[in-house]
Amino acid sequence: MGKFIKYLALILLAGCFLLPFIIMTLGSFKEMQFALLDPLFWIPDDPTISNYKYLMGSGMFLRWIFNSVVITIIPVFTQMFFCAILGYIFAKKQFPGREVIFWVFMAVIMIPQQLLIIPKYIMFADFGWINTYWALIIPELWGIMGVFLVRQFLQSIPNDLEEAARIDGANDLKVFFKVILPLSVPVIATVGTFSFISNWNDLFQPLIYMTQEEMFPVTVGLASILGKEGNFGIEMAGSTLSFIPTFLIFLFFQRYFTEGIQMSGLK
Amino acid sequence: MTLIEPKTNSESFIAVPQKRSFGARVKREWNKNAIVYVFLIPVLIHFFIFQIFPFAFSFVLTFLDWKIIGDPEFVGLKNWQRFLEDKLAWKAIWNTVLFSIYYIIPTMALGLILALIINSGVRMKALFKGIFFLPVVTSFVIIAGIWGWLFRGTESGMINYLLSFIGVDTQLFLADSSQALLVLAGLSVFKVAGSTMIYYFAGLQSVDKQLYESARIDGASPMRIFWSITFPLLKPIHFYVAIVTTIGSFQIFDSTFLLTGGGPNYATTTIVFYLYQQGFGGLNLSYAAVLSYVLFFIILFISLIQRRYMGKETKYY
Repeated sequence: MGKFIKYLALILLAGCFLLPFIIMTLGSFKEMQFALLDPLFWIPDDPTISNYKYLMGSGMFLRWIFNSVVITIIPVFTQMFFCAILGYIFAKKQFPGREVIFWVFMAVIMIPQQLLIIPKYIMFADFGWINTYWALIIPELWGIMGVFLVRQFLQSIPNDLEEAARIDGANDLKVFFKVILPLSVPVIATVGTFSFISNWNDLFQPLIYMTQEEMFPVTVGLASILGKEGNFGIEMAGSTLSFIPTFLIFLFFQRYFTEGIQMSGLK
Repeated sequence: MTLIEPKTNSESFIAVPQKRSFGARVKREWNKNAIVYVFLIPVLIHFFIFQIFPFAFSFVLTFLDWKIIGDPEFVGLKNWQRFLEDKLAWKAIWNTVLFSIYYIIPTMALGLILALIINSGVRMKALFKGIFFLPVVTSFVIIAGIWGWLFRGTESGMINYLLSFIGVDTQLFLADSSQALLVLAGLSVFKVAGSTMIYYFAGLQSVDKQLYESARIDGASPMRIFWSITFPLLKPIHFYVAIVTTIGSFQIFDSTFLLTGGGPNYATTTIVFYLYQQGFGGLNLSYAAVLSYVLFFIILFISLIQRRYMGKETKYY
């Protein structure tokens, strides 16, 4: 009996969590002129791919996807690299000012990003970065969070391996690439997945730095068609397409999301 | 294996005690830690340009009048004074507080329920965890798009359609100033409950199993076990999740921007949305800077409370 209730609750809740995604996918295959009249507008009786065709044909959508890829992929790789090497530096190296610098990093995390947006906008306007990829790539080249995650991870790893490599004559760079990097694959994957999701899904920053339609990432692009009458099918098709990369990353790296959340939160 | 000549700069080499000049010490430090300086210095420069400088610049900005075009003018505390007298700013703060109230407890409760069910040993644990976590990784734009249609304030809105079965009249939802904030809070609960679940799940797994054993031997009911053992033992997690969710709720912007544009009648104007409107809608950049500092002080205050009660051991993100 208890077991039955447990599974019933689980399946009902899972249904509620999946329903929006089901509506999104099914809705993307419907002609939407009736959506305003029908509460169950998303249940298919006459599926069509016209919404997808429209998106592909309009040109802008593919451009938005391309923009999102550019502003996501570059920071993902640079973040993985810089966070790995800085995490190593803060976990294993002794140098003057180490504690102070790390303390300042940790303090700065408390600053909400919204505070930095106004001065950054003025700076970027001055640099000529508005409506360029630079505004969204350069500030994201590394992240304090990622450094913190790698440092936490490496602190829990004994120094024996590193010392063995040093006795064999390896220098710092060699130790980093041959010993530390292979060991930290899980945590670096965590940094990468988080960086992917936060850059791909970001709305606030591109909304401010990108004012021309052809520079929009897909989030801002979708927001611009959101809620326009009769656009529901197109919006859902766009949502489905922009969701696919997120979903694939999620499918392959799910473990790292949960590990990352646990590692960052609870110690 | 090749034998490598010991290097004179290696630490294991016995240092000859002698008075070194400053230059020699710098050189020695460089040889020992070149990797640190090669990578740390660029990162520190980057950190200064994109974090420290804007932080300070924003503060200076609050004392200026700057509309991008033309020269900035020093106006002292005028912007701050304007904030104190700005009814809409206080309404935005109040809305944000209300939003937190609507959102924190349901998020925590739902996260805990999900974690409890999954932790109690069910089949296909990973699949269900994945389903509940899915909204966390999904963009607000996608979820808000669907949410807006579900909560359409007409008879043909799906939620209204479902409510009609239990005899509830058609609701206006996002167009009703007493409901709009609640609907947006619901969206956030859906979006965030999955990560709360992960925190609770981690917490549940660290609870000592022997406590349950002995409680069961004493004949305690499952409800009693939950309220007397599990719930109190999760206290640090309740606290942590509450803080993280509160900080998140004060930064809420996307759902307001996407679904209500701050309305109806300013009922969903949050701090960050108001900041955005002032700064980038009205080009009052200096006043927006004041609002961003207000947000900063609120978040700082919440973080300090956590520091005070959680001690140094727990990090807060």
